[in-house]
Amino acid sequence: MKSGKDKCLSVHFEPMGQKVEVQQGESILDAAHKANIYLSSICGGDGYCGKCKVVVDKGHYQSRSTNLLTPDELAQDMVLACQTKILSDMIVTVPKRHGLEAGHILAASDVSECRQMKRQLKGPAFAIDPVVRKIFLKMSAPTVHDHTADHERLYLAIRDTLDAPIIQTGFRVLQTLSSVMKKSSYQVTATVGQRGGTLEVVEVQAGDQSGRNYGVAIDLGTTTVVAHLVDLITGKVLDKEATYNSQINFGEDYIRRIIYAEEHDAFDQLQDRIVQDVNDLLTTIAARQCIGLSDITACMVAGNTAMIHFLLNLDPTRIRREPYVASADFVPPIRAAEAGIQINKRGLMYCFPSVAAYVGGDIVAGVLATGLNESEGLCLLVDIGTNGEVVLGNRDWMMCASSSAGPAFEGSGVKHGMRAVKGAIEQFRMSSTRRITVRTIGNGHPVGLCGSGLLDTLAELYYRGVIDRTGRFLDIPDKRLIEGDEGLQFQLVAPDGEHPEVVITQIDINNLIRSKAGVFAAIRVLMRATEISPGDLDAVYLAGGFGNFLNIQHALRIGMLPDVSLEKVWFVGNTSIMGANAALLSHQALNVSQQIAQSMTYVDLMSDPSYMEEFIRASFLPHTDLSLFPSIQVKQAESANQE
Amino acid sequence: MPIPELVQTHAGSVSRVTLGATKEQGGTRTHTVTIGGAASVVYGGLPEKAGDRPLIAMDVLDTRPDDWPESLSQSFDDVMDSPGKWAAKCVECGADLICLVFDGIHPDKGDKTAADAVAATREVLGAVGVPLILWGCENADKDNQVMPKVSEAAKGENCLIGIVEQDNYKAITAVALADGHNLITGAPLDINIGKQVNILVTDMGFPAERIVTYQSTGALGYGIEYAYSIGERQRLAALSGDKMMAMPAICNVGFEAWRAKEAKLADAPGWGDVAARGPMWEATTAICLLQAGADIIRLRHPKSVAIVKNFIDEIW
Repeated sequence: MKSGKDKCLSVHFEPMGQKVEVQQGESILDAAHKANIYLSSICGGDGYCGKCKVVVDKGHYQSRSTNLLTPDELAQDMVLACQTKILSDMIVTVPKRHGLEAGHILAASDVSECRQMKRQLKGPAFAIDPVVRKIFLKMSAPTVHDHTADHERLYLAIRDTLDAPIIQTGFRVLQTLSSVMKKSSYQVTATVGQRGGTLEVVEVQAGDQSGRNYGVAIDLGTTTVVAHLVDLITGKVLDKEATYNSQINFGEDYIRRIIYAEEHDAFDQLQDRIVQDVNDLLTTIAARQCIGLSDITACMVAGNTAMIHFLLNLDPTRIRREPYVASADFVPPIRAAEAGIQINKRGLMYCFPSVAAYVGGDIVAGVLATGLNESEGLCLLVDIGTNGEVVLGNRDWMMCASSSAGPAFEGSGVKHGMRAVKGAIEQFRMSSTRRITVRTIGNGHPVGLCGSGLLDTLAELYYRGVIDRTGRFLDIPDKRLIEGDEGLQFQLVAPDGEHPEVVITQIDINNLIRSKAGVFAAIRVLMRATEISPGDLDAVYLAGGFGNFLNIQHALRIGMLPDVSLEKVWFVGNTSIMGANAALLSHQALNVSQQIAQSMTYVDLMSDPSYMEEFIRASFLPHTDLSLFPSIQVKQAESANQE
Repeated sequence: MPIPELVQTHAGSVSRVTLGATKEQGGTRTHTVTIGGAASVVYGGLPEKAGDRPLIAMDVLDTRPDDWPESLSQSFDDVMDSPGKWAAKCVECGADLICLVFDGIHPDKGDKTAADAVAATREVLGAVGVPLILWGCENADKDNQVMPKVSEAAKGENCLIGIVEQDNYKAITAVALADGHNLITGAPLDINIGKQVNILVTDMGFPAERIVTYQSTGALGYGIEYAYSIGERQRLAALSGDKMMAMPAICNVGFEAWRAKEAKLADAPGWGDVAARGPMWEATTAICLLQAGADIIRLRHPKSVAIVKNFIDEIW
């Protein structure tokens, strides 16, 4: 009973060679979603970002007119995927620019490999007491003198080993308990997990299985998902893997994704995507380490509030509407399988608690990892992700805020921006004669810029007089400064036979300045509210997936961080995953994270009248008010004297 | 017990800018004028700290305006085709400065050439002895094309030229520096952007002591409170010692006030006589902004000039 309109059509995507069935009239972007092909789409399909350009090689389509395509592009049959309806079978070529090719990205060696980190962060001193442990119990068999039932016998044995006032057992475990105990002559391995104040008997196996117990820590980011496999017995991180969050097809930021899900009733679809991403990571790691997924008994997730909602399919819609409330800030431990996470069928999943709709468990994990909540002196934690979150405080009090900084330093919204993967420029230097040297991750050919490279580039372009203090290109006689498709751009790496050039455009620079201004404005609002000056700070922790060689001096030079002396600033990398690792290994750490989330005061910048003002003041290099940056003034004076 | 005298002192003051150059100074003006210097808020401190008297600049356009209401244009109807004669009449009305506005070069308002603008400049320089303000058409491309020629034609006259904005400051700043003029930095009612423009032009080597700032003005009933609070904040920043906010300020009152329907609508019996209403609207706007700390007020109607001058005499 198919009407003409509902005709099934097939769309071929090149160069992936993927084929997908769609209904007539669906957009190419919809088709790409179905085929799980990433098309860059910042606006989430509204047709105003112009990022989802594809070439229609063959087939009929109907496209809404747009001024986002040049005459040249139109001549090549280039269209905006979101604005183009499919009318016949079709072959579509996805241009290389869409960048995020399928497959896994390299997990950039993070944090723990950072030299500075090791010196500073000893990590909170928690004894190894994993949230889920396996204990081998040797019990004596019942006799005429000892007719304690099997179940109670098990409890007694557990209590001999652990301090567990309240224990509970699942019905399914109970059903098989006796046969397992009898079969193994009362020598069993009990897997017990913490659920709040209760210890749950998750599984009972015959014999001694206690030598293999693994957990996974997940950093559930808006742009990237990172997993660490942790040996719950030794406490060692065995392996790491990262992938892009495939929800990115539905919008680059989570607000867009919530809107998409609402408009298309696609909450299940969004959950499937993220669950699939996590499962892909788990299977990859498990296979690499020759570990069965059933040996993974615990999963610890740190993510922003919206991502946790997507993962658990909780209603996230009110996160984006006043008064901005989440469905749950404190999610109780659940069975991972209930959310579709493929670890041990009865394994437990824990989510870090959120503070508010815009300050999530990733930040709580960051506080835990840096030990800010135990510090005597005042500390500032700045986490630059898709949003820029800031925590200020010490062991007595904590305040936090979130600025919608935008994902520029994650490489999103920047023409040649990319994550910290092989080939990303992570270090950028420009000499006084404007000669450029770069260092890339994995020493690959430079193909784009990751966070640390972008930060370097911004600082160096400013320092070497290529851009002015608003970030605009100055009129300098340099062949590398040319008019590109999106206005002025500066060539950082020249093209060679195989590799295209790497440039930074005026729009990129403006986005980066907006990002850093958002972050700095958030810092200023918190510091002003508490009447704290930079000199009062004992430590500033800069977190985020920037790359390995973040130049802190550059972060200060562009005015992203308050003007404190260099030795007080620590680049700490991905603190979200670090916190998740810590909580996986220590039940006490998990409890502390609950306390952290409860004791943080959230400052809503959107309703703070001074935020916008601070933002404009900070939208300048390094800042409109130079008196906030005395050491930069001194340095400029010094360099002026030398020249 | 004697009442102690409480005088608030401030760390900073508004910088002083002198406009115009006499023959000895290399120009052709009959005299120079100085603005700025205030070391207190308006009417809020010792008289000797009040700084120089604010000045009135009257607008002269390079082309006959077709959108002025009759109640305004009738004062100048006979001279509007000649910027020189128009300027001379303004000086008779009491203008301290002439603000020559190059509306006619705007692509949508006549698209006159640089040669036309230079001719108008020369004509006004020849007709009056007061210092000049040279105000572009606020179309960035056209201003960058024409204003350098205008600047060159007035070289040595120590004029006040502008405006430069965040998106477009380099060309005019460079010529003002080369031709020895003073510069107007503009911002859209945003004190931070205003400061940023000041920093940008001083980064180019332009002396801070030769800058006058301009924030888009709001007329009475049309956002005057924004303009007032910006003016007040700028003065307070100057007093606190912020060198990048210590410049004198200019307000474009005439243009804004005469856009208000209350100022120009003739057929509104309940509102009173339009001949008095327009100048009152303009004068009220001006007086309000003077109290916020404006140093130069651009006006259009002779009657409002008289009212505002009277006010300045009373206060300063």
